[in-house]
Amino acid sequence: MKQLLMLAAWPLFLHLTSIPSPAQTTETVCIQCHGALPGKLGEPVKLWKGSVHAANGISCHNCHGGDPTDMAMAMNPSRGFLGAPKDRAIPEFCGRCHVGVKEDYLASAHGRALGRGGPQCVTCHGNHAVFKATPDLINRRDCTRCHDYGRAEEIRSSVIETDRRITELEQSLLALHRTGIVTREMEGELFSLRNRFHRLFHNVDVEKVRNQTTGFQAELGKIRGQVIAIENKLKQRKLWGGVVMALLLLGGVLALLLHKSYKEEI
Amino acid sequence: MELGRKIADYIDARLGIRDILEQNLTKYLLPRNINVWYTLGAVLLTLFALQIGTGILLLVYYNPTVDEAFHSVQRIMNEVPFGWLIRTVHAVGANIIILALLLHMLSVLFMGSYKAPREFNWLAGFFLFLLSLGMCLTGYLLPWSQLSFWATTVATSSSQEIPLVGDLAIRFLRGGAMVGQPTLGRFFALHVIGFPLLFGLLVLAHLFCVRRVGISRPPFGPDWHPAEPPARFHHEEHRGGIPFFPHYVAKDAAIIAFFLALLLGVVFFAPGLFFPPTAFEPADPFVTPKGIKPEWYFLWAYQTLKIFPSEFLGLAVQGVAVTLLLLLPFLDRSPERRPAKRPFFVVAFLLGIALFIALSVWGHYS
Repeated sequence: MKQLLMLAAWPLFLHLTSIPSPAQTTETVCIQCHGALPGKLGEPVKLWKGSVHAANGISCHNCHGGDPTDMAMAMNPSRGFLGAPKDRAIPEFCGRCHVGVKEDYLASAHGRALGRGGPQCVTCHGNHAVFKATPDLINRRDCTRCHDYGRAEEIRSSVIETDRRITELEQSLLALHRTGIVTREMEGELFSLRNRFHRLFHNVDVEKVRNQTTGFQAELGKIRGQVIAIENKLKQRKLWGGVVMALLLLGGVLALLLHKSYKEEI
Repeated sequence: MELGRKIADYIDARLGIRDILEQNLTKYLLPRNINVWYTLGAVLLTLFALQIGTGILLLVYYNPTVDEAFHSVQRIMNEVPFGWLIRTVHAVGANIIILALLLHMLSVLFMGSYKAPREFNWLAGFFLFLLSLGMCLTGYLLPWSQLSFWATTVATSSSQEIPLVGDLAIRFLRGGAMVGQPTLGRFFALHVIGFPLLFGLLVLAHLFCVRRVGISRPPFGPDWHPAEPPARFHHEEHRGGIPFFPHYVAKDAAIIAFFLALLLGVVFFAPGLFFPPTAFEPADPFVTPKGIKPEWYFLWAYQTLKIFPSEFLGLAVQGVAVTLLLLLPFLDRSPERRPAKRPFFVVAFLLGIALFIALSVWGHYS
């Protein structure tokens, strides 16, 4: 009986020490259903997959509401389903999360022209394939769809350097994060700074953008200082690690020479 | 100084420690043609000791609960003095151990040292290898990162493919329907107590077998001839050989130093080699990260499961391969150990290595 039990347990032990099968993705019912549909009904899923929302885990139900776990009730208004907003309602729709941006936008020349041919969020950022907000969104091709590029170009040129520094710092923090350094607090500060900075674009006021950019650069400098301090600490660790490695290699070579001398003695 | 000598003499008169040391160090003779591959045992013992040491230090600050595990590891990495070093050495050390184990097993296979009368050495060693993989698997979950959570979810989900007992097996492994606190609890217990205890016993058994039967002579040189295994117990002696201490210990020390340099090289200059970005994100059962792949030493198994039409078939093939390898000393009974006289085995050996590498590379890029 014992032998039988051991035989039965053997595949389980082998299994425990071998395995990993291909990963399976858990998807919401929205993606399961619409992802399989052709044409207009399936298109949003394909577009969303390459969006900044998808990259940050924001799924269909986070904007459109509904129940992502229940196929039958997914699009039922009783479960909070909102559907697609009309053009005029888009700033309110997006502004549920992007509160500050909505405020600045509504107070801007763009916002004031809402419903009268003025642009709303998706005009620049796209809808399902939502682009990450960068100064590249301010460009001649898109801005000249409605007006002259002059003022837009001025805004772009005054923010582009700060935005580059933000992106650079994001990458430095990511690199530190990937070595196990806790960067949550700095990431939070940078995230907040980036949002406040990008919110600034939306008021489309050239003077205001220029004035406030200096303040943002000073804040960036503080975070950069912390990052440099950590990077220096990591460099120091590498230096010491290199010294210990060199000593071990030297010790190994000496031990081999010692072994050789013993062999010659015999 | 005089007092110290007197104390040593007093103890030695009662326990004969000097005699034990002499018998096992200076009077313990090894074959004259012993080669560098024989140092891997000492390398592994050193690395295991390092794992135990770093593991105990990690235990001081690690908290095995789903709410605290990830944060406790972050504290170790960022706040505890030298915590980052201890944790990284522990994690990278596990990978270096698997590398050394594979090299040790391959050298034993190539030189036919698994053959009679050393079947028990092989069995103990093989179980040590499986147990090491088990310790890697259980240790993988403990940081409770995205990588830990999803790798364990995927690994345990294959159990469902075992006929009849699939559901029972998955619940037994996870302690519930999903990977959660019960899984972390049982993996933690296995990793820090269950497996190490078993491991320690197996190491003792392995060393006992090696010492009792005598170390095998490398099957090279003109005066090596195959001999039938003795019908009765016989300790293989190597008269005129080189003493273990200080001769071979010097070589052991050299190779140990090189392995430690390799370990520190990865720890200081390429820690990301064994830590993908998902290793630094807390576990989130609602977000499946893209491209979760097992560690390099499980990639062959991962790809095997993908090749076959059903996971059960893949598991069965893996099971057969591992069982055949385990039972090899009882299947390959010829006393011939010289690789040049075992062309069929050498071809199978090389093909096996090529298959392992090919499946691993395929699994990595698939």
